[in-house]
Amino acid sequence: MSILDEWIVFDTNIWIFGLRRVPNIPACAQLLECLDRLRVVLPRQILQELQANLSENEITTLFRLLSRFPGRLRISWDKTSPQIISKYQREGCKLGDAVIAAHLEELDIKILVSENRDFLKEIRNLPFRRLSASQALAELKQSTT
Amino acid sequence: MDARVEKLAAEIASLGEAEQKALLERAAELSLRHGLAELSENYRKRLQQQGELDRTAEDILAKLRQIREEIAAREYSG
Repeated sequence: MSILDEWIVFDTNIWIFGLRRVPNIPACAQLLECLDRLRVVLPRQILQELQANLSENEITTLFRLLSRFPGRLRISWDKTSPQIISKYQREGCKLGDAVIAAHLEELDIKILVSENRDFLKEIRNLPFRRLSASQALAELKQSTT
Repeated sequence: MDARVEKLAAEIASLGEAEQKALLERAAELSLRHGLAELSENYRKRLQQQGELDRTAEDILAKLRQIREEIAAREYSG
């Protein structure tokens, strides 16, 4: 399955670096501009992290933009499984990272895009792939040519 | 209806089905880009006013990690 067919999750840093237009990581902003071609899931933990970073107006504007592509965006407000969180914590994850991994596993997501290179690095046999924004863009380009 | 919109609608209606589909997809893409650019500009303006815009990527990641742990602790502790 290509990145175009998979439901994927953008880590909070992709949204924030992209909207901030952090100069040395232009791939994040470029990836956000491809949202109309991707299938993106927003799990509860990431929604809450976005709410902690963006103002109410900014969140409203972001969701107004995303709502133009209803078939390409899924919002999951459900809490994730404490059992799966514990499993990742036992493998050495901090609570927050364990929550993200548990969301992905529970939602059966196969790709996490993140600029945090150390995120879940120590965990073996993750049920999803980790890609940087530039790797995700490269896969997207490859899938559309 | 605005005469300009009426003229555009008539032009679009005169296109073939495939062209209409391509046009609508392109319009959605451009609209998303414009919307994101505007949101980004407003967000950056607010960060500038708060003296937060020039943080390094590492600083931002550290702050995001801290927020992640705080939210997770609130939601899942006990």
